[in-house]
Amino acid sequence: MKETDIQLMFCGSAGDGTIAVGDIFKRAMAKAGYKVIAFDIYPPEIRGFGKCISRVRVTSRQAYSLKQESDVLVSLNDSYAIPHVPEVRDFGSVIYDNAPITSMAEGEHISGHLLPGQLPYGLRIREISDQTTGGSKSKNIVALGYLAGLFGIKPEPFHLIIRDKFKKKDPSIAESNLLAFDTAYTEGASTFRLDFIELGAPERQEIGSKVQMMTGNAAVVRGCLDAGLDCFFGYPITPATSIMERLATELPRRGGRLLQTEDEISAIAATIGAGYAGVRSATATSGPGLALMVEMLGLGVISEVPSVIFCSQRGGPSTGMPTKTEQSDLHLAVYGGAGDAQRIVLAPTNVEGAYRCAGKAFEMAEKYQTPVIVLLDLYLSNRYETVLLPRQNPFEGESSKHRSRVERGIPYSRFAFTEDHVSPRTIPGEEGGIHVITGLEHNEMGRPNDQSDMHNRMSEKRHKKLLAALDHPGITIHKRFGDTGSVDVGILGWGSTVGEILEAMLMAQAEGISCSVMKVVMLSPLPVEPIQHFFSDCREVLIPELNYEGQFANLVASAVSKPFTRFNRVPGVPMQVADILDQIRRLAERAKSSSAA
Amino acid sequence: MGSTQHYVIIGNGVAGNEAAYHLRQRDPESRITIITAGRLLFYSRYELPRVFHENCDWRDFLVHPVEYYANNRINVRRNSFVTHVDAHRKTLSLAHKEEIQYSQLLVASGGASYLPAELDEFAPLLNHFNLYSAACKVRDILPKQGKVVMLGGDVLGLDLARNLVNDGYKVVLVATEHTFWPHRVESDERALFLGALRDMGVEVIEGVKIELIEQGAAGMSARHILFDDGREIFADVVMPFLGLLPAADFMMGSGVDFERGLLVSTNLRTTDQNIWAAGDVCQIWSPEENQYRFYYGWKNVKKMGEIAAKNMTGEDIHWETATDQKLYIDKNRQLVSPYWEHD
Repeated sequence: MKETDIQLMFCGSAGDGTIAVGDIFKRAMAKAGYKVIAFDIYPPEIRGFGKCISRVRVTSRQAYSLKQESDVLVSLNDSYAIPHVPEVRDFGSVIYDNAPITSMAEGEHISGHLLPGQLPYGLRIREISDQTTGGSKSKNIVALGYLAGLFGIKPEPFHLIIRDKFKKKDPSIAESNLLAFDTAYTEGASTFRLDFIELGAPERQEIGSKVQMMTGNAAVVRGCLDAGLDCFFGYPITPATSIMERLATELPRRGGRLLQTEDEISAIAATIGAGYAGVRSATATSGPGLALMVEMLGLGVISEVPSVIFCSQRGGPSTGMPTKTEQSDLHLAVYGGAGDAQRIVLAPTNVEGAYRCAGKAFEMAEKYQTPVIVLLDLYLSNRYETVLLPRQNPFEGESSKHRSRVERGIPYSRFAFTEDHVSPRTIPGEEGGIHVITGLEHNEMGRPNDQSDMHNRMSEKRHKKLLAALDHPGITIHKRFGDTGSVDVGILGWGSTVGEILEAMLMAQAEGISCSVMKVVMLSPLPVEPIQHFFSDCREVLIPELNYEGQFANLVASAVSKPFTRFNRVPGVPMQVADILDQIRRLAERAKSSSAA
Repeated sequence: MGSTQHYVIIGNGVAGNEAAYHLRQRDPESRITIITAGRLLFYSRYELPRVFHENCDWRDFLVHPVEYYANNRINVRRNSFVTHVDAHRKTLSLAHKEEIQYSQLLVASGGASYLPAELDEFAPLLNHFNLYSAACKVRDILPKQGKVVMLGGDVLGLDLARNLVNDGYKVVLVATEHTFWPHRVESDERALFLGALRDMGVEVIEGVKIELIEQGAAGMSARHILFDDGREIFADVVMPFLGLLPAADFMMGSGVDFERGLLVSTNLRTTDQNIWAAGDVCQIWSPEENQYRFYYGWKNVKKMGEIAAKNMTGEDIHWETATDQKLYIDKNRQLVSPYWEHD
């Protein structure tokens, strides 16, 4: 069976429907049974100007990341699309409007910028939109219809998605857009094709699972709901806002509560308060918001109250680059705050992982009585993937096991020292569970105590209880991919960059380079032993990440003594597979020459 | 010549690409732009019959590898249609409303298939073979050992005919005054040449006019042709090969003299000092014959491209009137046209 692997890039101005057409395309392809990974880039401005790009990769089997080069570029605005022409591969296609209404100076039309190996497909995009819908707003639908016809993709899934898209509007709008789509589809189907783009059959679905297409943030919401989230408190911030937006609709339907607070400090305070009251609670923010939350986070740590904080990173510091991706809040998530405020930090590497980490975060927060930070980034929050979600809810419900330790007639010690360092926990109003809770260092009863021995023991307790999380069931803490045993090059990765790392690894393996990837999902506490083991297997180790100084590399450096290579980039966009591959090649050469010497 | 020159070439065939090559050699810093309505880079149309008997795609027909254009900084603007040339402002307009400024313009847009008015109504039922896409279409609809009716039979058509016959297809040639175009064939030679075609396996019909071409009935051959003498033929494909007409409508109103083609002096300059022409689109002044005339064939056209480029960059080379290249029958009784020779 022929494998499908094509990537399309829609490029236009805000208001051209660029993101919308990418959305229809990926939904239609997912509906047709293909696997999809997609990522949109849009300007910080709300509407009206600025460049929008929607990239969609369609595959038979789920891909790890977007490809560096697209097979097709659809230009809805030439001035924005022209700089992206070099991103189309040789013998790839460029679809554009060849009948614009305004005159232009030399160089303003995209046809003049195509590289010799690329194939031009001009279409009267605006004209067809005008003829079929009475306006130019459906240029995106026309372009979509043309490319579907051109590449022989069945129109039915598109029809369904277009109808769904316009279902809340006057029926005539859906009909005219369908006419626009079909008219362009016919043109596309009758165009003589010169490219070599083919779609194979989609892969069959696995039994017992359900394929859905969603963003990282949508997966977080789904994970929260499946894990039984009761309360959410938040303050909007890009790129985390869509978590709160979705929950605002979904959570009340399930009997939960959502409150938009006046700022991030209130949001974390309310989250910890709700956790103290015994319900599953969460907040979501980005780096600037997390910076405001860290003081209260310390309270959650010392008072051992469960809470879950989702942080979707963006370019920083300060307001930074709100619509650009980065992995530069790792230090803040792991170390941010006063004192030794140990907490659990999880960083999913893909959309399915975002679902699992979100749900498991509640289990962990309760089991280890601590704040859990789930670290995403704009790339993962906003990117779409088709995911296989289990039909059975994989998350444990609210845990009551620790409350069972409260026994009648025995004075209750909320912070008792135990074998697993986790103390019996009660919620307010529970019989026999009266205790003091404070931000001050305290004794087992919760009463303030700043004796050095007590501080030592409590610090140890708060630290060691988290180590058990490294063996928490049902979640991947770390995982190795690629070649087993000794390899020339090992690549250690975290967060969304793992997708690009895995793609680079596959390409390197295809070149005959012996290499292996280890992804680390739990960043605090760090799975030190597996990382050390990985290092011992690799002649050279590379750590690529999207921050300037190598924040994950710094964590790793504290755990291993062997030298490794940092690869840090802050372009505001996902790391390039080719750049990682270049580094792997370089290190493979070095490994070979050192072993030869 | 300085680096500010922008040489624009309309046409992506032999003449245009040969000119681009020599322009780059002679003016390394200049800008060179080739404008073509086609979607492909320069490919060999002479090789198109290969579509019938090889598993090949358009990349196999490219004359230069893709890197050639980047290495030589030749920008090929494909799928672009010139609508007007303003010789006074030294600009040309493209159909998508973009205006391009040139320093020197070479028109090498070649020729388009000629179709007489009486066949116009049958145009939708006719197939061509002038482009890669057209050749693929014929390949796709023509069954193995299928029948092709060829109207006229210019040298391009005859080249295809001999290839089709060799590949086991049946070819019926409806001879007209355009048969053997652009060779000038005397009446006594004509009978010999038609005889040679018959010997090669081509069925030749003479002295008839097309009365009707229509879609074949279901289950029958795709085309039904009726002649004025009552004869009829069923075929899978009908193709006109009736010579070429210069494709330079966009030069109308440019102020440059135009007769049947663009009129150029022996140095290939038109009546505008910044506009030159080469290839099938131009008529070159022949002092010996005291008239303007066309020259065809890969070698002639290639030479024109070279001369135009050299003259555009300061030389003064003149086209030498070539003697007509003759059609002939070789020792194997095969009809041969010198125009079939190419690099």
